[in-house]
Amino acid sequence: MQREDKQLELVLENFQSKLNEFKAQIYALIFKLEHERDNVNWTTVLDTFAVFSTQYTAIMKYLSYEKLPQLRNYSVLPLMLNPERDEDLARITENRVPALSHDIVPDFLRTKTEPEVEHKLMQVEHKAGGLQFETAQKQLAAFNKVVNHVLDLVSKAREEWEVETGARVGIGQTSSVADLHTLVSAVSMGKNLKPMVPQVSPGGMMVPPTGRPVTPSMGPNTPPMGMMPKPPPGMKTNVKAAGAPHPYR
Amino acid sequence: MEAVKEAPIPAMDSLTAAMKNNIVPNQEYLLQGSVLDSAVEVLLHRLRGLCDNVDSGPETFHDHEMCFSISNVYFSVHVLCPLHIIINIIFLLGSVTPQPLTLRVRRAIDYLDMPYQLRYIGQPELGDKSRPTILRNSIDVATTPTIVDFLTEMGFRMDFEYILRGYMFRKGRMKITVSKIFKMMVVGKPAPESVDPISQSYLVELSVLAPSNQDAIAEDMRVFAEQLKPLVHLEKVDYKRLTQPPM
Repeated sequence: MQREDKQLELVLENFQSKLNEFKAQIYALIFKLEHERDNVNWTTVLDTFAVFSTQYTAIMKYLSYEKLPQLRNYSVLPLMLNPERDEDLARITENRVPALSHDIVPDFLRTKTEPEVEHKLMQVEHKAGGLQFETAQKQLAAFNKVVNHVLDLVSKAREEWEVETGARVGIGQTSSVADLHTLVSAVSMGKNLKPMVPQVSPGGMMVPPTGRPVTPSMGPNTPPMGMMPKPPPGMKTNVKAAGAPHPYR
Repeated sequence: MEAVKEAPIPAMDSLTAAMKNNIVPNQEYLLQGSVLDSAVEVLLHRLRGLCDNVDSGPETFHDHEMCFSISNVYFSVHVLCPLHIIINIIFLLGSVTPQPLTLRVRRAIDYLDMPYQLRYIGQPELGDKSRPTILRNSIDVATTPTIVDFLTEMGFRMDFEYILRGYMFRKGRMKITVSKIFKMMVVGKPAPESVDPISQSYLVELSVLAPSNQDAIAEDMRVFAEQLKPLVHLEKVDYKRLTQPPM
Protein backbone atom coordinates (compact mmCIF):
# COMPACT_ATOMS: atom_id res chain seq x y z
CA MET A 1 0.00 0.00 0.00
CA GLN A 2 2.77 2.32 0.94
CA ARG A 3 4.70 1.47 -2.15
CA GLU A 4 1.66 2.30 -4.27
CA ASP A 5 1.23 5.63 -2.52
CA LYS A 6 4.81 6.50 -3.16
CA GLN A 7 4.48 5.59 -6.77
CA LEU A 8 1.38 7.69 -7.14
CA GLU A 9 3.13 10.62 -5.60
CA LEU A 10 6.04 10.23 -7.97
CA VAL A 11 3.74 10.03 -10.97
CA LEU A 12 1.82 13.10 -9.91
CA GLU A 13 5.03 15.01 -9.42
CA ASN A 14 6.28 14.04 -12.84
CA PHE A 15 2.95 14.87 -14.36
CA GLN A 16 2.88 18.23 -12.70
CA SER A 17 6.36 19.15 -13.84
CA LYS A 18 5.44 18.24 -17.39
CA LEU A 19 2.28 20.29 -17.19
CA ASN A 20 4.19 23.24 -15.75
CA GLU A 21 6.68 23.07 -18.57
CA PHE A 22 3.87 23.06 -21.06
CA LYS A 23 2.21 25.94 -19.29
CA ALA A 24 5.40 27.98 -19.32
CA GLN A 25 5.67 27.53 -23.07
CA ILE A 26 2.11 28.66 -23.60
CA TYR A 27 2.80 31.68 -21.41
CA ALA A 28 5.87 32.49 -23.47
CA LEU A 29 3.82 32.45 -26.64
CA ILE A 30 1.11 34.63 -25.16
CA PHE A 31 3.70 37.04 -23.88
CA LYS A 32 5.31 37.19 -27.29
CA LEU A 33 1.98 37.81 -28.99
CA GLU A 34 1.13 40.58 -26.57
CA HIS A 35 4.44 42.40 -26.46
CA GLU A 36 6.27 41.69 -29.69
CA ARG A 37 3.32 41.54 -31.99
CA ASP A 38 5.17 43.31 -34.79
CA ASN A 39 8.14 41.00 -34.84
CA VAL A 40 6.27 37.72 -34.74
CA ASN A 41 5.97 35.95 -38.04
CA TRP A 42 3.56 33.17 -38.75
CA THR A 43 6.19 30.51 -39.25
CA THR A 44 7.49 30.83 -35.70
CA VAL A 45 3.95 30.71 -34.33
CA LEU A 46 3.28 27.64 -36.38
CA ASP A 47 6.47 26.06 -35.09
CA THR A 48 5.42 26.79 -31.52
CA PHE A 49 2.08 25.14 -32.12
CA ALA A 50 3.83 22.10 -33.44
CA VAL A 51 5.88 21.95 -30.24
CA PHE A 52 2.68 22.24 -28.18
CA SER A 53 1.14 19.43 -30.07
CA THR A 54 4.08 17.11 -29.43
CA GLN A 55 4.16 18.10 -25.81
CA TYR A 56 0.49 17.28 -25.44
CA THR A 57 0.91 13.93 -27.13
CA ALA A 58 3.85 13.14 -24.88
CA ILE A 59 1.82 13.91 -21.76
CA MET A 60 -1.08 11.78 -22.90
CA LYS A 61 1.30 8.95 -23.69
CA TYR A 62 2.84 9.25 -20.26
CA LEU A 63 -0.56 9.00 -18.62
CA SER A 64 -1.59 5.95 -20.57
CA TYR A 65 1.64 4.11 -19.77
CA GLU A 66 0.39 0.84 -18.33
CA LYS A 67 2.76 0.58 -15.41
CA LEU A 68 1.46 3.83 -14.01
CA PRO A 69 -1.43 3.74 -11.57
CA GLN A 70 -4.63 4.61 -13.35
CA LEU A 71 -5.38 8.10 -12.18
CA ARG A 72 -8.99 7.81 -13.09
CA ASN A 73 -9.39 5.12 -10.50
CA TYR A 74 -8.72 7.66 -7.81
CA SER A 75 -11.47 9.94 -6.67
CA VAL A 76 -11.22 13.44 -5.35
CA LEU A 77 -13.64 14.30 -2.60
CA PRO A 78 -14.39 17.81 -1.45
CA LEU A 79 -14.35 17.43 2.31
CA MET A 80 -15.29 20.97 3.09
CA LEU A 81 -16.72 23.83 1.08
CA ASN A 82 -15.92 27.34 2.10
CA PRO A 83 -17.20 30.57 0.57
CA GLU A 84 -14.37 32.55 2.17
CA ARG A 85 -11.25 33.39 0.21
CA ASP A 86 -8.54 30.79 0.74
CA GLU A 87 -5.09 32.35 0.30
CA ASP A 88 -3.31 29.05 -0.06
CA LEU A 89 -5.64 27.87 -2.77
CA ALA A 90 -5.40 31.19 -4.58
CA ARG A 91 -1.60 30.95 -4.52
CA ILE A 92 -1.51 27.37 -5.79
CA THR A 93 -3.92 28.12 -8.61
CA GLU A 94 -2.34 31.48 -9.41
CA ASN A 95 -5.45 33.38 -8.37
CA ARG A 96 -7.73 31.50 -10.69
CA VAL A 97 -9.59 29.79 -7.84
CA PRO A 98 -9.81 32.08 -4.83
CA ALA A 99 -12.12 29.85 -2.81
CA LEU A 100 -13.46 26.32 -2.85
CA SER A 101 -17.06 27.46 -2.84
CA HIS A 102 -20.38 25.95 -3.80
CA ASP A 103 -20.27 27.79 -7.08
CA ILE A 104 -17.26 26.20 -8.57
CA VAL A 105 -17.02 22.77 -7.06
CA PRO A 106 -19.71 21.18 -9.25
CA ASP A 107 -17.90 22.45 -12.34
CA PHE A 108 -14.37 21.68 -11.28
CA LEU A 109 -14.93 18.23 -9.93
CA ARG A 110 -17.45 17.08 -12.47
CA THR A 111 -16.97 13.60 -13.89
CA LYS A 112 -20.18 13.38 -15.85
CA THR A 113 -21.81 15.79 -18.27
CA GLU A 114 -24.34 18.25 -16.95
CA PRO A 115 -27.76 16.78 -16.29
CA GLU A 116 -29.32 18.98 -18.90
CA VAL A 117 -26.88 17.90 -21.57
CA GLU A 118 -27.12 14.32 -20.46
CA HIS A 119 -30.86 14.47 -20.85
CA LYS A 120 -30.65 15.86 -24.33
CA LEU A 121 -28.11 13.27 -25.33
CA MET A 122 -30.39 10.53 -24.04
CA GLN A 123 -33.26 11.92 -26.07
CA VAL A 124 -31.24 11.94 -29.27
CA GLU A 125 -29.93 8.47 -28.68
CA HIS A 126 -33.42 7.20 -28.00
CA LYS A 127 -34.68 8.79 -31.17
CA ALA A 128 -31.86 7.27 -33.19
CA GLY A 129 -32.51 3.86 -31.69
CA GLY A 130 -36.21 4.00 -32.50
CA LEU A 131 -35.70 4.83 -36.15
CA GLN A 132 -36.99 2.50 -38.82
CA PHE A 133 -34.26 0.93 -40.90
CA GLU A 134 -35.73 2.24 -44.14
CA THR A 135 -36.10 5.77 -42.85
CA ALA A 136 -32.53 5.65 -41.68
CA GLN A 137 -31.40 4.49 -45.09
CA LYS A 138 -33.41 7.24 -46.74
CA GLN A 139 -31.91 9.89 -44.51
CA LEU A 140 -28.47 8.47 -45.06
CA ALA A 141 -28.96 8.64 -48.81
CA ALA A 142 -30.24 12.20 -48.60
CA PHE A 143 -27.33 13.22 -46.46
CA ASN A 144 -24.86 11.56 -48.81
CA LYS A 145 -26.46 13.40 -51.70
CA VAL A 146 -26.04 16.74 -49.99
CA VAL A 147 -22.44 16.03 -49.06
CA ASN A 148 -21.60 14.89 -52.57
CA HIS A 149 -23.20 17.98 -53.99
CA VAL A 150 -21.07 20.17 -51.75
CA LEU A 151 -18.02 18.16 -52.71
CA ASP A 152 -18.83 18.70 -56.38
CA LEU A 153 -19.14 22.42 -55.83
CA VAL A 154 -15.83 22.57 -54.07
CA SER A 155 -13.95 20.51 -56.63
CA LYS A 156 -15.47 22.47 -59.48
CA ALA A 157 -14.39 25.72 -57.87
CA ARG A 158 -10.94 24.31 -57.36
CA GLU A 159 -10.70 23.19 -60.95
CA GLU A 160 -11.73 26.61 -62.18
CA TRP A 161 -9.22 28.22 -59.92
CA GLU A 162 -6.46 25.98 -61.16
CA VAL A 163 -7.32 26.65 -64.77
CA GLU A 164 -7.29 30.35 -64.05
CA THR A 165 -3.90 30.31 -62.39
CA GLY A 166 -2.64 28.04 -65.12
CA ALA A 167 -3.77 30.49 -67.75
CA ARG A 168 -2.14 33.34 -65.92
CA VAL A 169 1.19 31.56 -65.81
CA GLY A 170 0.80 30.92 -69.53
CA ILE A 171 0.33 27.23 -69.52
CA GLY A 172 -0.55 27.46 -73.17
CA GLN A 173 2.35 26.89 -75.45
CA THR A 174 4.16 30.09 -76.25
CA SER A 175 7.09 28.82 -78.20
CA SER A 176 7.78 25.97 -80.54
CA VAL A 177 11.10 24.24 -81.02
CA ALA A 178 10.21 23.31 -84.58
CA ASP A 179 9.52 26.95 -85.40
CA LEU A 180 12.78 27.99 -83.79
CA HIS A 181 14.69 25.56 -85.91
CA THR A 182 12.87 26.69 -89.03
CA LEU A 183 13.67 30.30 -88.29
CA VAL A 184 17.28 29.79 -87.32
CA SER A 185 18.09 27.55 -90.26
CA ALA A 186 16.42 30.06 -92.56
CA VAL A 187 18.36 33.01 -91.21
CA SER A 188 21.68 31.25 -90.92
CA MET A 189 21.67 28.97 -93.92
CA GLY A 190 18.87 30.27 -96.08
CA LYS A 191 16.82 27.13 -95.75
CA ASN A 192 13.49 27.64 -97.53
CA LEU A 193 14.66 31.07 -98.58
CA LYS A 194 16.61 30.27 -101.71
CA PRO A 195 15.41 32.47 -104.54
CA MET A 196 12.66 31.48 -106.91
CA VAL A 197 13.33 29.78 -110.19
CA PRO A 198 15.20 32.40 -112.22
CA GLN A 199 13.10 31.94 -115.39
CA VAL A 200 10.17 33.73 -113.82
CA SER A 201 9.66 37.08 -115.46
CA PRO A 202 10.15 39.80 -112.87
CA GLY A 203 6.83 41.51 -113.57
CA GLY A 204 4.66 38.42 -113.63
CA MET A 205 2.67 37.54 -110.55
CA MET A 206 3.62 34.35 -108.85
CA VAL A 207 0.84 31.89 -108.38
CA PRO A 208 1.39 29.90 -105.24
CA PRO A 209 0.98 26.16 -105.63
CA THR A 210 -2.27 24.88 -104.22
CA GLY A 211 -0.95 21.87 -102.40
CA ARG A 212 1.13 22.64 -99.39
CA PRO A 213 4.64 21.70 -100.30
CA VAL A 214 6.23 19.30 -97.91
CA THR A 215 9.88 18.53 -98.00
CA PRO A 216 11.21 15.32 -96.56
CA SER A 217 13.75 17.19 -94.49
CA MET A 218 11.07 18.83 -92.40
CA GLY A 219 9.74 17.42 -89.20
CA PRO A 220 6.13 16.36 -88.94
CA ASN A 221 5.32 19.28 -86.64
CA THR A 222 6.66 21.96 -88.89
CA PRO A 223 3.94 24.52 -89.52
CA PRO A 224 3.09 25.59 -93.05
CA MET A 225 6.06 27.37 -94.40
CA GLY A 226 4.52 29.29 -97.24
CA MET A 227 5.97 28.61 -100.61
CA MET A 228 8.69 26.12 -101.13
CA PRO A 229 9.97 26.44 -104.64
CA LYS A 230 11.52 23.47 -106.29
CA PRO A 231 15.19 24.26 -106.50
CA PRO A 232 16.63 24.70 -109.96
CA PRO A 233 18.81 21.79 -110.95
CA GLY A 234 22.14 23.45 -110.45
CA MET A 235 21.33 25.06 -107.14
CA LYS A 236 22.56 23.61 -103.91
CA THR A 237 19.86 23.41 -101.29
CA ASN A 238 19.33 21.61 -98.07
CA VAL A 239 16.55 19.49 -99.44
CA LYS A 240 17.69 15.92 -99.22
CA ALA A 241 16.32 13.29 -101.53
CA ALA A 242 14.09 10.94 -99.62
CA GLY A 243 14.17 7.22 -100.17
CA ALA A 244 10.45 6.88 -100.74
CA PRO A 245 8.79 8.59 -103.72
CA HIS A 246 7.32 11.93 -102.75
CA PRO A 247 3.53 12.22 -102.84
CA TYR A 248 3.60 15.57 -104.64
CA ARG A 249 6.09 14.67 -107.29
CA MET B 1 36.81 54.50 -87.45
CA GLU B 2 37.22 58.15 -88.43
CA ALA B 3 40.96 57.87 -88.33
CA VAL B 4 40.75 54.68 -90.28
CA LYS B 5 38.96 56.32 -93.16
CA GLU B 6 41.65 58.92 -93.71
CA ALA B 7 44.56 56.70 -94.59
CA PRO B 8 43.93 53.09 -95.50
CA ILE B 9 47.31 51.47 -95.07
CA PRO B 10 48.34 52.83 -91.67
CA ALA B 11 44.76 52.25 -90.64
CA MET B 12 45.21 48.62 -91.36
CA ASP B 13 48.18 48.53 -89.04
CA SER B 14 46.38 50.31 -86.28
CA LEU B 15 43.44 48.00 -86.74
CA THR B 16 45.70 45.01 -86.45
CA ALA B 17 47.10 46.50 -83.29
CA ALA B 18 43.60 47.13 -81.99
CA MET B 19 42.66 43.54 -82.71
CA LYS B 20 45.69 42.31 -80.87
CA ASN B 21 44.82 44.42 -77.89
CA ASN B 22 41.30 43.05 -77.81
CA ILE B 23 39.47 46.31 -78.13
CA VAL B 24 37.58 45.60 -81.32
CA PRO B 25 34.15 44.18 -80.60
CA ASN B 26 34.42 41.24 -82.94
CA GLN B 27 32.74 38.55 -80.88
CA GLU B 28 29.03 38.09 -80.74
CA TYR B 29 27.49 36.32 -77.79
CA LEU B 30 24.17 34.95 -78.91
CA LEU B 31 21.10 33.20 -77.58
CA GLN B 32 18.12 32.37 -79.75
CA GLY B 33 14.54 31.46 -79.17
CA SER B 34 11.16 31.76 -80.76
CA VAL B 35 7.73 32.87 -79.70
CA LEU B 36 4.42 32.01 -81.31
CA ASP B 37 2.51 34.85 -82.94
CA SER B 38 -0.24 34.47 -80.37
CA ALA B 39 2.13 35.15 -77.49
CA VAL B 40 4.25 37.88 -79.00
CA GLU B 41 2.23 40.65 -77.37
CA VAL B 42 2.88 39.17 -73.95
CA LEU B 43 6.58 38.94 -74.70
CA LEU B 44 6.76 42.53 -75.93
CA HIS B 45 4.99 43.62 -72.79
CA ARG B 46 7.45 41.79 -70.62
CA LEU B 47 10.44 43.09 -72.55
CA ARG B 48 9.10 46.61 -72.21
CA GLY B 49 9.20 46.11 -68.48
CA LEU B 50 12.65 44.56 -68.40
CA CYS B 51 14.56 46.71 -70.82
CA ASP B 52 16.10 50.15 -70.81
CA ASN B 53 14.15 51.94 -73.48
CA VAL B 54 10.97 52.02 -71.46
CA ASP B 55 9.84 55.54 -72.19
CA SER B 56 10.29 55.59 -75.93
CA GLY B 57 8.67 52.20 -76.36
CA PRO B 58 10.17 49.47 -78.47
CA GLU B 59 12.12 50.48 -81.54
CA THR B 60 10.73 48.92 -84.67
CA PHE B 61 12.72 47.86 -87.66
CA HIS B 62 12.00 46.64 -91.14
CA ASP B 63 15.08 45.32 -92.87
CA HIS B 64 16.01 43.47 -95.99
CA GLU B 65 18.94 41.11 -95.69
CA MET B 66 20.82 39.54 -98.53
CA CYS B 67 23.33 36.81 -98.02
CA PHE B 68 26.15 36.68 -100.56
CA SER B 69 28.63 33.91 -100.88
CA ILE B 70 31.75 33.13 -102.81
CA SER B 71 33.78 29.98 -102.89
CA ASN B 72 37.54 29.61 -103.31
CA VAL B 73 38.46 32.85 -101.61
CA TYR B 74 42.15 33.17 -102.22
CA PHE B 75 42.53 36.76 -103.19
CA SER B 76 43.82 39.83 -101.60
CA VAL B 77 41.63 42.84 -101.88
CA HIS B 78 43.16 46.24 -102.21
CA VAL B 79 40.26 48.56 -102.23
CA LEU B 80 39.36 51.45 -100.07
CA CYS B 81 38.10 51.03 -96.57
CA PRO B 82 35.90 49.88 -95.01
CA LEU B 83 35.37 46.83 -97.16
CA HIS B 84 39.10 46.43 -97.28
CA ILE B 85 39.07 46.10 -93.55
CA ILE B 86 36.31 43.61 -93.30
CA ILE B 87 37.78 41.26 -95.84
CA ASN B 88 41.21 41.54 -94.36
CA ILE B 89 39.82 40.88 -90.94
CA ILE B 90 38.39 37.69 -92.23
CA PHE B 91 41.90 36.67 -93.13
CA LEU B 92 43.18 37.84 -89.80
CA LEU B 93 40.65 35.77 -87.95
CA GLY B 94 41.72 32.76 -89.88
CA SER B 95 38.13 32.00 -90.71
CA VAL B 96 38.69 31.27 -94.35
CA THR B 97 37.97 27.61 -94.73
CA PRO B 98 37.13 25.43 -97.70
CA GLN B 99 33.52 26.45 -97.07
CA PRO B 100 32.25 29.32 -99.17
CA LEU B 101 32.71 32.70 -97.60
CA THR B 102 29.46 34.44 -96.88
CA LEU B 103 28.79 38.10 -96.28
CA ARG B 104 25.52 39.65 -95.37
CA VAL B 105 24.19 42.94 -96.61
CA ARG B 106 21.39 44.50 -94.72
CA ARG B 107 19.40 47.59 -95.49
CA ALA B 108 16.55 49.33 -93.79
CA ILE B 109 13.37 49.37 -95.81
CA ASP B 110 11.70 51.91 -93.60
CA TYR B 111 14.64 54.34 -93.64
CA LEU B 112 15.95 54.48 -97.17
CA ASP B 113 18.68 57.04 -96.45
CA MET B 114 20.35 54.86 -93.84
CA PRO B 115 23.65 53.31 -94.85
CA TYR B 116 23.74 49.67 -95.78
CA GLN B 117 25.37 47.30 -93.36
CA LEU B 118 27.88 44.71 -94.47
CA ARG B 119 28.48 41.97 -92.02
CA TYR B 120 30.62 38.93 -91.66
CA ILE B 121 29.47 36.22 -89.28
CA GLY B 122 31.79 33.38 -88.39
CA GLN B 123 30.99 29.82 -87.51
CA PRO B 124 29.09 29.66 -84.23
CA GLU B 125 30.96 28.00 -81.41
CA LEU B 126 28.71 26.10 -79.12
CA GLY B 127 31.29 25.50 -76.44
CA ASP B 128 30.70 23.20 -73.53
CA LYS B 129 27.90 23.30 -71.02
CA SER B 130 29.63 25.84 -68.81
CA ARG B 131 29.39 28.44 -71.52
CA PRO B 132 25.92 29.98 -71.40
CA THR B 133 25.82 31.38 -74.94
CA ILE B 134 26.88 30.75 -78.48
CA LEU B 135 29.99 32.64 -79.48
CA ARG B 136 30.70 33.67 -83.05
CA ASN B 137 32.92 36.11 -84.81
CA SER B 138 31.12 39.11 -86.13
CA ILE B 139 32.37 42.17 -87.91
CA ASP B 140 30.23 44.80 -89.50
CA VAL B 141 30.72 48.06 -91.33
CA ALA B 142 28.43 50.64 -92.78
CA THR B 143 28.54 50.93 -96.54
CA THR B 144 26.81 52.64 -99.42
CA PRO B 145 24.14 50.94 -101.53
CA THR B 146 26.74 50.22 -104.20
CA ILE B 147 28.02 47.38 -102.04
CA VAL B 148 25.66 45.00 -103.81
CA ASP B 149 27.14 45.78 -107.22
CA PHE B 150 30.59 45.73 -105.73
CA LEU B 151 30.20 42.25 -104.27
CA THR B 152 28.67 40.98 -107.49
CA GLU B 153 31.62 42.33 -109.45
CA MET B 154 33.97 40.57 -107.10
CA GLY B 155 32.33 37.28 -107.87
CA PHE B 156 29.96 37.02 -104.94
CA ARG B 157 26.61 35.51 -105.69
CA MET B 158 23.43 36.12 -103.78
CA ASP B 159 22.55 32.97 -101.92
CA PHE B 160 19.28 33.97 -100.37
CA GLU B 161 17.47 36.98 -99.06
CA TYR B 162 14.73 37.68 -96.60
CA ILE B 163 12.82 40.41 -94.85
CA LEU B 164 12.90 41.03 -91.12
CA ARG B 165 10.27 43.04 -89.39
CA GLY B 166 10.10 43.44 -85.66
CA TYR B 167 11.12 45.16 -82.49
CA MET B 168 14.40 45.92 -80.83
CA PHE B 169 15.07 46.39 -77.14
CA ARG B 170 18.17 47.30 -75.23
CA LYS B 171 19.27 46.34 -71.78
CA GLY B 172 22.71 47.62 -70.96
CA ARG B 173 25.00 46.13 -73.58
CA MET B 174 22.48 43.50 -74.51
CA LYS B 175 20.36 43.77 -77.61
CA ILE B 176 17.10 41.90 -77.87
CA THR B 177 15.34 41.60 -81.19
CA VAL B 178 11.94 40.09 -81.79
CA SER B 179 11.56 39.66 -85.50
CA LYS B 180 9.30 38.06 -88.02
CA ILE B 181 11.11 36.50 -90.93
CA PHE B 182 9.52 36.83 -94.35
CA LYS B 183 10.41 35.05 -97.49
CA MET B 184 10.46 37.18 -100.60
CA MET B 185 8.28 35.82 -103.34
CA VAL B 186 9.86 37.96 -106.01
CA VAL B 187 13.60 38.48 -106.12
CA GLY B 188 14.59 41.97 -105.05
CA LYS B 189 11.02 43.07 -104.36
CA PRO B 190 10.42 43.55 -100.66
CA ALA B 191 6.94 44.94 -101.16
CA PRO B 192 4.52 43.86 -98.44
CA GLU B 193 2.22 42.07 -100.87
CA SER B 194 4.98 39.86 -102.17
CA VAL B 195 6.38 38.58 -98.91
CA ASP B 196 5.35 35.54 -96.96
CA PRO B 197 6.14 34.72 -93.33
CA ILE B 198 8.13 31.53 -93.12
CA SER B 199 6.68 30.40 -89.81
CA GLN B 200 4.01 31.08 -87.24
CA SER B 201 6.60 32.35 -84.81
CA TYR B 202 8.80 35.30 -84.19
CA LEU B 203 12.54 34.83 -83.88
CA VAL B 204 13.88 36.15 -80.59
CA GLU B 205 17.57 36.92 -80.36
CA LEU B 206 19.57 38.13 -77.41
CA SER B 207 23.03 39.27 -78.40
CA VAL B 208 26.01 41.29 -77.30
CA LEU B 209 28.91 42.43 -79.41
CA ALA B 210 32.09 42.51 -77.40
CA PRO B 211 35.83 42.25 -77.75
CA SER B 212 37.33 38.81 -77.22
CA ASN B 213 37.46 37.20 -73.81
CA GLN B 214 34.64 39.06 -72.16
CA ASP B 215 32.86 36.01 -70.92
CA ALA B 216 31.28 37.81 -67.98
CA ILE B 217 28.65 39.27 -70.27
CA ALA B 218 27.51 35.78 -71.19
CA GLU B 219 26.52 35.22 -67.59
CA ASP B 220 24.42 38.40 -67.64
CA MET B 221 22.71 37.13 -70.74
CA ARG B 222 21.94 33.83 -69.10
CA VAL B 223 20.31 35.66 -66.19
CA PHE B 224 18.29 37.80 -68.55
CA ALA B 225 17.18 34.76 -70.52
CA GLU B 226 15.99 33.17 -67.28
CA GLN B 227 13.64 36.09 -66.80
CA LEU B 228 11.88 35.42 -70.07
CA LYS B 229 11.03 31.85 -69.17
CA PRO B 230 8.65 30.14 -69.66
CA LEU B 231 7.41 32.50 -72.33
CA VAL B 232 10.49 32.12 -74.47
CA HIS B 233 13.30 29.67 -74.00
CA LEU B 234 16.43 31.37 -75.21
CA GLU B 235 19.01 28.72 -75.90
CA LYS B 236 22.17 27.84 -77.71
CA VAL B 237 20.92 26.52 -81.01
CA ASP B 238 23.17 23.85 -82.38
CA TYR B 239 23.66 24.80 -86.02
CA LYS B 240 25.30 21.53 -86.88
CA ARG B 241 22.20 19.62 -85.90
CA LEU B 242 20.02 21.92 -87.97
CA THR B 243 21.80 20.98 -91.17
CA GLN B 244 20.83 17.36 -90.69
CA PRO B 245 17.25 16.40 -91.34
CA PRO B 246 15.37 15.53 -88.16
CA MET B 247 14.81 11.85 -87.49
